Amino acid sequence: MAQAQSAVATESLPYNDVIPGAVVGRDGEALIVNREKLLELARYLRDHEGYDYLSSVTGVDNLTHPKRQGVERFEVVYHLYSTKRGGGPLVLKARAPEDDPEIPSVVSIWPGADFQEREIWDLFGVRFPGHPNLRRILLWEGFNGHPMRKDWKEAYYEEEHKPYSSRWPYGHYPREEYKYPWQEERAVYKDNLVFPKGFDPDRWQAPEVEYRLGQDIYRELEKLKTDRIIVNIGPQHPSTHGVFRMVVALEGETILGLEPEVGYLHRNHEKIGERNTYLMNIPYTDRLDYINSMSNNLGYVLAVEKLMGKVEVPERAKYLRIIMAELTRVLNHMFAIGFLLNDLGAFFTPALYALEERELILDLFEAASGSRMMCNYMRPGGVAYDVSEEWVAQAKKLVFERLPRAVDELDYYLTENEILLARTKGVGYLSPEDAIAYSTSGPVLRGSGVPYDIRKVEPYCIYDRFDFDIVTEDGGDVYARYMVRIREARESLKILRQALKDLPGGPVIGKKKYTFRIPPGEAYQRIEAPKGELGFYLVSDGTANPYRYHVRSPSFINLTALGPMCVGHKVADSVGILGSIDIVLGEVDR
Amino acid sequence: MLNTYAVIGLYALVALTFPFIVLLFARLVRPSKPNPLKNSTYECGMETIGDTWVQFRAQYYLFALVFVVFDVEVVFLYPWAVAYGKLGLFALVEMALFIGLLAVALVYAWRKGILEWQ
Amino acid sequence: MDVLKPQIGDWWHALLQGAGLSSGWIVFLDALVITLILLGLGLTSVLFAVWLERKLAARVQDRLGPNRVGPYGLVQTVADALKLLTKEDITPDNAERLSYNLAPGLAVFAVLMLLLVIPFGPGLIGADINVGVLYLVAMGSVGIMAILMAGWSSNNKYALLGGFRAVAQLLSYEIPMILAMSVPVLFAGTMSMEKLVEQQAHGRWFGVVMPAAFFLYFLAALAENERTPFDLLEADSEIVAGYHIEYSGMKFAWFFLAFFLNTLILSAIATTLFLGGWRGPFVEQVPALGIFYFLAKSFVLVFAFMWIRATFPRLRIDQMMAFAWKVMVPTGLVLVLVAAVFVKLPVAPLVRDVLLFLVNVFILLVVAGLVGRHLRLQIKRLSEGAAVVS
Repeated sequence: MAQAQSAVATESLPYNDVIPGAVVGRDGEALIVNREKLLELARYLRDHEGYDYLSSVTGVDNLTHPKRQGVERFEVVYHLYSTKRGGGPLVLKARAPEDDPEIPSVVSIWPGADFQEREIWDLFGVRFPGHPNLRRILLWEGFNGHPMRKDWKEAYYEEEHKPYSSRWPYGHYPREEYKYPWQEERAVYKDNLVFPKGFDPDRWQAPEVEYRLGQDIYRELEKLKTDRIIVNIGPQHPSTHGVFRMVVALEGETILGLEPEVGYLHRNHEKIGERNTYLMNIPYTDRLDYINSMSNNLGYVLAVEKLMGKVEVPERAKYLRIIMAELTRVLNHMFAIGFLLNDLGAFFTPALYALEERELILDLFEAASGSRMMCNYMRPGGVAYDVSEEWVAQAKKLVFERLPRAVDELDYYLTENEILLARTKGVGYLSPEDAIAYSTSGPVLRGSGVPYDIRKVEPYCIYDRFDFDIVTEDGGDVYARYMVRIREARESLKILRQALKDLPGGPVIGKKKYTFRIPPGEAYQRIEAPKGELGFYLVSDGTANPYRYHVRSPSFINLTALGPMCVGHKVADSVGILGSIDIVLGEVDR
Repeated sequence: MLNTYAVIGLYALVALTFPFIVLLFARLVRPSKPNPLKNSTYECGMETIGDTWVQFRAQYYLFALVFVVFDVEVVFLYPWAVAYGKLGLFALVEMALFIGLLAVALVYAWRKGILEWQ
Repeated sequence: MDVLKPQIGDWWHALLQGAGLSSGWIVFLDALVITLILLGLGLTSVLFAVWLERKLAARVQDRLGPNRVGPYGLVQTVADALKLLTKEDITPDNAERLSYNLAPGLAVFAVLMLLLVIPFGPGLIGADINVGVLYLVAMGSVGIMAILMAGWSSNNKYALLGGFRAVAQLLSYEIPMILAMSVPVLFAGTMSMEKLVEQQAHGRWFGVVMPAAFFLYFLAALAENERTPFDLLEADSEIVAGYHIEYSGMKFAWFFLAFFLNTLILSAIATTLFLGGWRGPFVEQVPALGIFYFLAKSFVLVFAFMWIRATFPRLRIDQMMAFAWKVMVPTGLVLVLVAAVFVKLPVAPLVRDVLLFLVNVFILLVVAGLVGRHLRLQIKRLSEGAAVVS
């Protein structure tokens, strides 16, 4: 039916003159692409239109969307950007029917789609023919079904949307599992647990991990006849920054191949988000990148505002948002540098020096929002609470005096250190082309010399009012990423100084609202979070709950480049390279 | 002199047995509740993939070999060093030659790429 | 020179003879007393050293460190040791049981044996044997064997990597260490630790005359002691704990003890060979001062060890091996030759020492310059070419 509709207007759609029949319709800003022609169109867009950066790939299940009845069930949404031109996205949508959920893989064109397509396969059950390694990524093989499908129900399922009638407005009704105390005992691992057909948990073995071996290095090493060993680094490892696992194939100490394995902290953030109302989601975003809850809040709130259309944000709130986001960036970069040094073998000293400054910034967050780490501070239409005069004074003291010195101190002690140089220069090299192709973002991308900072190329909030520079380093190695962080912290302080000086008075939020009626539609809002491009993709069906809620997390997608970066280096370098990507598992596994 | 070696002998005996006696004592006071999971190999919480005792990279052994050669030769320096004060200028020439030989060996190993860690 | 020992010894022997013991028994009791004193000294000083390390690292890192158990947390280590004693001991099913169980004991044995030839004060030495320095070298290698045994027998990949790194690293750094240690032997013309101290009278410390040799020894000792920046065998951020990853309870405690005792002993050896041992002002008049001087010098070095650990990141294995073989071994060879030449130089001793000192400083500067130049070139090459296989 969709095809019949669009066949009429095909002539007027873009790109059809180049690749006939590629674009079959429009859905708001998005172009609906014929999946047979997707690869052809994608290659054309990359090579001739300059859309070299695939920011986000995600799936949507149209099953219960009131406006999309009769449309094919599965939809994969691509957000393309150009790193050369900057500016807004080109949104592509490819659709597949329920009985044949297949969409060709774009990994051959944008390798950055690798993990994201695996995630869609895992959560939606859409297959990607042509994907080199289409395994489940967040869940294990014994998981029954694909949880993001709208007809998938979790154990102890109550209702489609929160607030659940069992708990609201009275809130005293016991949960289903407490109603019958024996039920939980009986249910655990028995009735509660369903395996896919033909799956025997007792005979399950972890799947063989495929390595993409660096061919040159392998040939070089094959001269000596020795055996390879395969080592798990993680999940319970001191320097994987959480429960993250790297399966490493070693020849002596040289890495032949490395495969990241994630999902140990998976909680299906997105499914929870689709049960929640829009406002309920804000504290959940704190738990994504739990080091930078403020910028997560900001990204989500901006996405909701974009979806709501015209939202008036008071001037003071605009400034406060910037101040919080930039304080977060300083905090994160110092933290990242400290722990990178830890990974390189320093005995916690740099990390603890960085943590000291972090504590002071957290004091500010606590005074403003009531919580040190889980701030829950931003709201659509402003921020939750105003800050006092003393707060501003304290922040000024920190920003004008203490933090610049702290950054200088790290710089002074670390940057010229011979051991640091020897360990980081030339290690984990990522060329600018690869950095773009793998969809890396943030300091990883800029460390490869690509001047791409969303605050500049697609300004959000009021970043266009401030004077700051995009920081790039040409090295493309661990050292370059380290330097980007140092210098970016300084740029952030520059923004902070301007913002704190100009901070106007007035209210911080318009009328407080607890539920939002949001018109049907969709929005993708990305911000320059400290770790890279943090994007929120929201689809609304006109109710108080998001129909689709997707987080494009920088840590997760930056990890795509980890394997290629590590090949040929030593085991010791792999943890350093991981540290230079700066991941947070709350965000990777979601 | 005899006393000295008596001290060494007794001391060695005690130093060798002492750790094991403490281990035996610890055996009396500590709990012992082994189970298969606890006794499995630690590899960051995952089961080991493949065998550990494989034909490991030869690089380590090359270093060990170079070491043995050097160690034995360097230890020859000691008797020479002790007696050096009593010997004439000839000892100096002799040892210069010896150290020269060592240096040549080192340069040879260097050029052959044995000292490059891959 | 035996100032203290004869006095105490005479009194002690008189006591024993008074009790009517035969000479065989006296020898045995002598040995027993020395053994007990040394063991007690070794074990208690480790307890203190662990506390010191934690406290120092805390100071460097702007925090308090242990401060709950006893005054300034002094008894913390005792509590830890008791805890380890009562902890369950796990032997992995796949381990090679015999070497797995032998290794920790052997590691402790190796370091305890080193204690025997350390002169703590005038005449205060367990056994003054005439091959003291050689004995140190020999016993040091036993420890390496224990580490390799532990790494291999655990049947664990991290432990295996740690064990192999141990072979590569400890063996490689042993050569420059032996070379550096042969310089004082060359000067003194003896390998007896006692006599080496005697030769460094009137402030003519070998470490002052030959600073380069001392420096070489210190660096090699850092590596031999698996300390940052050379702590690759137990690199916790890479191979988790290296060779002792599978050990728990008291067996782990033995490795821990061996590690810290080794720190103390390596400092003590450096003090003896290069810093004049127990020598210092007024030590002739008040021999007991010797113990104080010895401990003070040793703990200055221990402090340096710990300071470095709390400061630097770690080198990579290839860089570390290159440093051992391409920098330290050649420097060591040159130093031995230089020392040999200058000993034979027909000039006044003072002139000779000053000349030696200057030549040493020159060598140090040249080596440091060469290493720095090489590093800069390499870094430049890496940042320009980015010649990385991927």
